[in-house]
Amino acid sequence: MSLNATYDVIVAGAGHNGLTAAAYLARAGRKVLVVEKNDWIGGAAVSRSLHPGWTYSNCSYVCSLLRREIVRDLDLPKYGLQVIPYEGGATFTRDGDYFAYYSDHHALHREMARHSRRDADAYQRYAQAVMRQCRFIRPFLLRDAPDPASLRPRDLGEMAYLVKKAHGLGPRELGETLRFWTMSIGDFLDEHFENDLIKAHLAGSGIIGTGLGVYSPGTAYVLLHHYMGDIDGGIGAWGFARGGMGAISAAIGADFEAHGGTILKGAGVEKFLTKDGRVTGVALEDGKVFKAPVVASNMDVKRTFLTHVDAGDLPPEFTRAVERFKIRGSSAKLNIALDRMPSFPAAPAHASFLRGDLHVSQSLSELERAYDDWKAGRVSAKPYIDMLIPSQIDPTMAPTGAHMMTVFVQYAPYDLAQGSTRSGVNWDDAARRQLADCVLDQMSVACPDIRERIVHMEVRCPAEIEREVGLTEGNIFQGELTFDQLFFNRPVPGWSQYDSPIKGLYLCGSSAHPGGGVMGAPGANAARAILRADGVRMKGYAA
Amino acid sequence: MTRFDAIVIGAGVNGLVAAALLARRGKKVCLIEAARHAGGMAGLRPGEGPALAHLVHNLSPAVRRDLGLGRDWPFALTPLATVALAEDGRHVVVDGPNAKLADGTAHPFAAAHAALTERLTRYGALLRNMAETAPPGGGMSGIAMMRQGLRFARTGLSLRAMGKPEMRRFLQVLLSNAYDLILDEMSDGPLAGLWTADAVRGAALGPRSPGTVFSLIYRMGHGGIVSRPEGGMEAVIAALEEAGRKAGCTLRTDTRVARILTEGDRVTGVATEAGEILSAQVVLSSAAPLTTARLTGLDHFDIEATRRLRNLRARGTVAKVNLKLARAPALPGVDLASARMVFAPSAEYVETAFNPSKYGEMSEAPVIEAVMPDPGAASPWLSLLVQYAPADLDGGWTAAARDRLAQIATRTLARALPDLPGLVTSAEVMTPDQIGAATGGPGGHWHQAELTFDQMLTLRPGNGMGHYAFGPSGLYLCGAATHPGGDVMGLSGRNAALRALEDRA
Repeated sequence: MSLNATYDVIVAGAGHNGLTAAAYLARAGRKVLVVEKNDWIGGAAVSRSLHPGWTYSNCSYVCSLLRREIVRDLDLPKYGLQVIPYEGGATFTRDGDYFAYYSDHHALHREMARHSRRDADAYQRYAQAVMRQCRFIRPFLLRDAPDPASLRPRDLGEMAYLVKKAHGLGPRELGETLRFWTMSIGDFLDEHFENDLIKAHLAGSGIIGTGLGVYSPGTAYVLLHHYMGDIDGGIGAWGFARGGMGAISAAIGADFEAHGGTILKGAGVEKFLTKDGRVTGVALEDGKVFKAPVVASNMDVKRTFLTHVDAGDLPPEFTRAVERFKIRGSSAKLNIALDRMPSFPAAPAHASFLRGDLHVSQSLSELERAYDDWKAGRVSAKPYIDMLIPSQIDPTMAPTGAHMMTVFVQYAPYDLAQGSTRSGVNWDDAARRQLADCVLDQMSVACPDIRERIVHMEVRCPAEIEREVGLTEGNIFQGELTFDQLFFNRPVPGWSQYDSPIKGLYLCGSSAHPGGGVMGAPGANAARAILRADGVRMKGYAA
Repeated sequence: MTRFDAIVIGAGVNGLVAAALLARRGKKVCLIEAARHAGGMAGLRPGEGPALAHLVHNLSPAVRRDLGLGRDWPFALTPLATVALAEDGRHVVVDGPNAKLADGTAHPFAAAHAALTERLTRYGALLRNMAETAPPGGGMSGIAMMRQGLRFARTGLSLRAMGKPEMRRFLQVLLSNAYDLILDEMSDGPLAGLWTADAVRGAALGPRSPGTVFSLIYRMGHGGIVSRPEGGMEAVIAALEEAGRKAGCTLRTDTRVARILTEGDRVTGVATEAGEILSAQVVLSSAAPLTTARLTGLDHFDIEATRRLRNLRARGTVAKVNLKLARAPALPGVDLASARMVFAPSAEYVETAFNPSKYGEMSEAPVIEAVMPDPGAASPWLSLLVQYAPADLDGGWTAAARDRLAQIATRTLARALPDLPGLVTSAEVMTPDQIGAATGGPGGHWHQAELTFDQMLTLRPGNGMGHYAFGPSGLYLCGAATHPGGDVMGLSGRNAALRALEDRA
């Protein structure tokens, strides 16, 4: 490998989207270099061994959104990718009961009826409504978002597709769709259910990763964003990647390398080089320079354009729009090595739902109060937690008999308030200990012996996720999933098709349409846009 | 039995407008009102003091035109400047696009304020086009459809005429939240507080809630000028009443409707609680949708429609507090006689004030709008709108809770007007539950139904009911729960009446 060689395309950042874009481009015959600041690849889809014997999916932790078209196109199973669906989940109460979610329809109906007969009957209507929305949105994920202000044939074509799809719903269903997209998940659940616990259990997906509360309009869409994936055709199903989420990045990376691509680790980008409004390559932090006529940035839109590009190279209104883009850190993560399975006194022995996502939020108002804490710059007093023990299904994650637990925490502000200041700097060791304590207290509602089970624990606050992964504020979606930042508004109006005011510089991360999650769609779509600029039609799902 | 062409239920602003318009088009109209006076929620008074609505900003010229009231309303409208009160005495005086400090010095974000005003007023004019017509679709006649198509085409063209960047920006901010929109342009303080307070006034939303940019634009739909009607809200109501009377409309106050009568799938009239039958082929109801459905009989509505009506969100968050003062308070550099005062020292403050209302608690530090409807009086009233005071207060709105609200309001205003507490001689309080009880408006909400995107346009009041026609043939909704909504605007009533006329044409 000649280091100062020139490439057709350089991808900055080996997150799963960067690698996806790179793999598609390499398959199209492009000479592609991926540069990655860390000494490992994967971005936020990583498996890391921080304590001997245990493997953590230490950022993203479950998989569903990864587009099956991409899995097929890139032959990911060939490189060892195996996603194992998990079934069910539960929310534990403070008085020793639980609400369990089963994927088996009858079991779920019985369990719901145990809490509310009315809700058990309402669930079918609820599930149908959500499923209809999933069906509507899924085809848009791997298409470009049209620019409504443009009269270019392709934009008009995409717009016509949108209108056709919308029209096809019929007026009643179209109304329902508009309604669903603009509602809060809290209001949506209140319309269907009466039981606080059931509502709290279902609401979680509406807030994960966002700076919104369960009663903020638009959170029903966020729920959809978490439901629109599938595993082996099971829409809405979630699963574990065997070997941790890093297995996804590893498989994509392997396909990329198998098609002649080069990955350079420990190579952080200092600057995107430009000349006369065109990108010419990248300069690395260590001074190395690589040339390419096309560069795709897997970094978020703020980091890409506000940190690594000269402001003088961008139109001021574009810079303003990027400055206005909202990326808010709202979540934290605990990764725990356990000496054995913690006890869940409320659960029957060998309950299947323990292999799913476990929670302890009791009501929508408890979740909303958690959001109020976040707005004020505090870690939620009673945070929403999404905990899973993947080692029950995937034995590669922990030594025999021992287990690994992943705990997603919402809300934790990036700009933590301390005294009169609000800043990421306030995340010192004491603050992180306090966060961990608060989360462990919440967890002990479900598993009281959790503290005794801990062999090793990694506490990740938003500031740290930002530092290590490079996600601004530690926001898992590279930007809020609100209407003003979705579809043709993502990342900024007029630039929703992966390109930028600097010719040849593209975005391929989840700041771009259709947004975050381990989906691969922004990366694949960006690759398609890059090839299209060369007059080449991308092979694979787009064909 | 008395025969009419049309019966309108409820003599609030929208009912008055609908009745007058139908009468002007030659229909024999009876307007029925349960209370002793016309006026509905806008004219509702807690006691001796000013009525609930103390200012107008959205009175529709389309309504004035259609009621034949000429070029000007038959009452004086005094445009008011707004004073964004500051605790440190650095009050901000806002007059349309101009913002300056009360001591006459320039406001650091005057330019940003002017640009925002200009932009949002432009957006408002665009949306007004949509407000003055029924929502799209809904089985209207060919001509009406064409007329509507033209209107939408015109909206589309004006959108395009703004130029690409502005069009894109419009489509971006429309669904956004006021907090971000404002704080992207200026640092937090009384001016930002004022903007965000105006965005959420009357709503069960905080400025960080997506969709509040829309409610801000809605308020600015008629130019964004805040006016005080001279003679109070009574003058506005009297003018609408007079327009109806002139056209031959019969107003029957103190009359409660017991049932809306039907024969098969047709409306035939109404029965009053006194047992009288008034017959008409057309009935327009400005009562809340669910109330109207109940008066008609729920068997006229399928289960889906009934469910939607039950799920309509309307949770009033604003209380009216009138303070009787020994004399007008003084605010250096500000002519309070022609000013609207707003206490919302920052956008953060407004959001924080919103928090407790979500859990059925009143704000300890609320957002307040204050005006003096009759500044010339020796001992004037200070008329306050206090937000957030949720309709469903935990423990209920007891006398003690109302007292506390008045105290909180006085104490809060005193943070900027230190001499106020000493001037207050008495107070009147009217909370959302009372507003609801007195007017039948669910939750005492100004718009009868929260103005959010999921309850807007064809979705207002519910999906499939967005075109005024409601249940059996001949029955229409004409209240604020229909498109475009309330706010002493009159367009819901007007649009509904036009729709009814068109169906009979």
